[in-house]
Amino acid sequence: MALPIPLTFLIDLLTLFGIFAIISMSLNLEFGYTGIPNFGKLLAVAGGAFFVGAVPGRIIAYLFNTPAGSDFIKNNLEVVSSINQVLMNDPTLSICYLLLSLVGAALAGAALGYIASYPGIRLRGDYLAMTLLAIAEVLKIIGDNWEPFIGGSLGVRIPDPFRWVSGEYRPLYVSLTIIGVTAAIFIYLEFVSRSPLGRTLRALRDDELSARVYGKDVDKLRIKALVVGCAIAAIGGALYSFLTASVSARDFNRVTHTFWPWVMVIVGGAGNNLGALVGAGIFVTVRRLITFYKSYFETFLPFDVVWLEYMLLGLALLIVLLYRPEGLIPEKPTKTLKYEYIANKRATRTKPK
Amino acid sequence: MHRQGRQLSLILVRDALIFSSLMIMLSAGLTLTYMTTKVPNFAHGDFATLNIYLNLALVRLLNINPYLGTIPAFMLGGVIALVLYLAVLKPLMDRGANYVILMVATIAYDMILISLINIFADYLNRVHKIITRLFQLKGFDIEIFGQPGLFVIAPILAFVMITLLYFFLNKTKFGIAMRAAIENPSLAEVVGININRMYAISWFISGGLAGAVGALMPLYMTCNPDIGIRLLISIFAASILGGLSNIYGAFVGGAIIGLAEVLGTGYLSMTLGPWVVPYRPVIPLIVMMLTLLIAPRGLAGVNWKKFLRKVG
Repeated sequence: MALPIPLTFLIDLLTLFGIFAIISMSLNLEFGYTGIPNFGKLLAVAGGAFFVGAVPGRIIAYLFNTPAGSDFIKNNLEVVSSINQVLMNDPTLSICYLLLSLVGAALAGAALGYIASYPGIRLRGDYLAMTLLAIAEVLKIIGDNWEPFIGGSLGVRIPDPFRWVSGEYRPLYVSLTIIGVTAAIFIYLEFVSRSPLGRTLRALRDDELSARVYGKDVDKLRIKALVVGCAIAAIGGALYSFLTASVSARDFNRVTHTFWPWVMVIVGGAGNNLGALVGAGIFVTVRRLITFYKSYFETFLPFDVVWLEYMLLGLALLIVLLYRPEGLIPEKPTKTLKYEYIANKRATRTKPK
Repeated sequence: MHRQGRQLSLILVRDALIFSSLMIMLSAGLTLTYMTTKVPNFAHGDFATLNIYLNLALVRLLNINPYLGTIPAFMLGGVIALVLYLAVLKPLMDRGANYVILMVATIAYDMILISLINIFADYLNRVHKIITRLFQLKGFDIEIFGQPGLFVIAPILAFVMITLLYFFLNKTKFGIAMRAAIENPSLAEVVGININRMYAISWFISGGLAGAVGALMPLYMTCNPDIGIRLLISIFAASILGGLSNIYGAFVGGAIIGLAEVLGTGYLSMTLGPWVVPYRPVIPLIVMMLTLLIAPRGLAGVNWKKFLRKVG
């Protein structure tokens, strides 16, 4: 039974939304809550995807010894299709593979974030922004050129953890998985933002000196936020690779995976997770519409329409920065206890015995 | 074999000198704007890239000598930098935006530039049938003493630029006013210096230098619309090495990064094999990270007298 076309369109949209929402929420944790200008978002996203491309497939191939003596990159197609045969009949293994890969990708992303931020985290944010941007670009260059890693410019196919779902329903299942992960991350980040840690992060964003005066270890907290942010972004990158069941360094660049998340966070409203979600939602919908009407413009313009899209996004970001810097959904002040409650407490405490 | 090796090193040294000269001009521009506005300009690489294509169009369509193209490129680079400052950064600064927002704004501006560069490249390619992806203009270079003209002209240009900037900042009233505006904006304002005009001029000079470098770039290397990001890594490395707050530091930083990149990649590819060539941006990255770890304020921030006493 085939799924109706509007439904497949919606599933497509939700899938992309989920992936970009994960990335933009991770940026929101770093920039919105903590004030770290992560201009190397690409680093963690590509790091997660590269990890998934390089490690889990090799491990499975080693465990099942299929087919003996072949190289994961050189005989990529044969190795992956024989692994897929195994995964197809074994949903438990598929799910384990998916979850463990996501955990691995998160760890890889966290490690990358830690290493990349180490030289610059104690300095003013712009040094950190410059190093993160440069490291992200170098990681992409390595992925693009070092063939034994993820197949160089050709990319690599990876075992498909959704193979056990029959053809028609695969997109639906992928979409549900991604949305599920997105929801889990959203709930986690909401907890973080309401926790004492979340309030501390905001405090050091708003006034670093005061935070230091109150005895907060600013550098450590910054590293923490960046490492968690990178881990989450890496999950986003890993999910993107599972969606296409392949990894290629060509799919990742600083426009799609650094600039776009920034547009989403700033347009949606920095400093609250809902803003990041709304930003991602608007962005994905608008992009889909542009792709939909692209062929119409393509006939009479002497250039690729994709560049107009870049310009529109750049202008949109500038306009939001200039005229509505708080974004569509502004950050709400931190919830505090009710005054009566505090007064009551104080009264009971100061009561003479 | 030996002779061929020497020939190769000669070419390498020549390339290194040219690239260093170009890097000096680029990092000086970035540092100048960083000193005034206190924001690293993420669009600086594409100030140059846009002018690569301007000069390509001038050379191929109007048959202009590529060196004459540096003049309109200087103007165009200056104007796009001025627009960034006056239309985007100045209004944001007036509203009290912090440096992170300013950086995001320069990235947004960079996206607009990337879009313009690619539209222009597509247009030249489809309408005028000019190769705009992975192209060179080495064939249009003039020859001086049997060497490519750029080998003579790029270092001279860098030298002249350094001297002019030095005299401008130290010997003219205008330049001294600019230094005052950089060092202590509020005090300079009290004395009656128009800070806004000073900042605008420094942005114009910065963009102009990047534009002139962009015009020369296709004479030196293979160019592509996405070359800006590679340049940006080198520019940042050079400026951070120079200390980001000292224009003379930027000169030294640019020279060191230029030499290290070309000579490092060249000698490594001779000893390890040509596979190292694509990893060239790793060299500025390593320099950048080492600088931040060892001397985060760059060469200009090191107390050289103390250092020499310790060593000697």
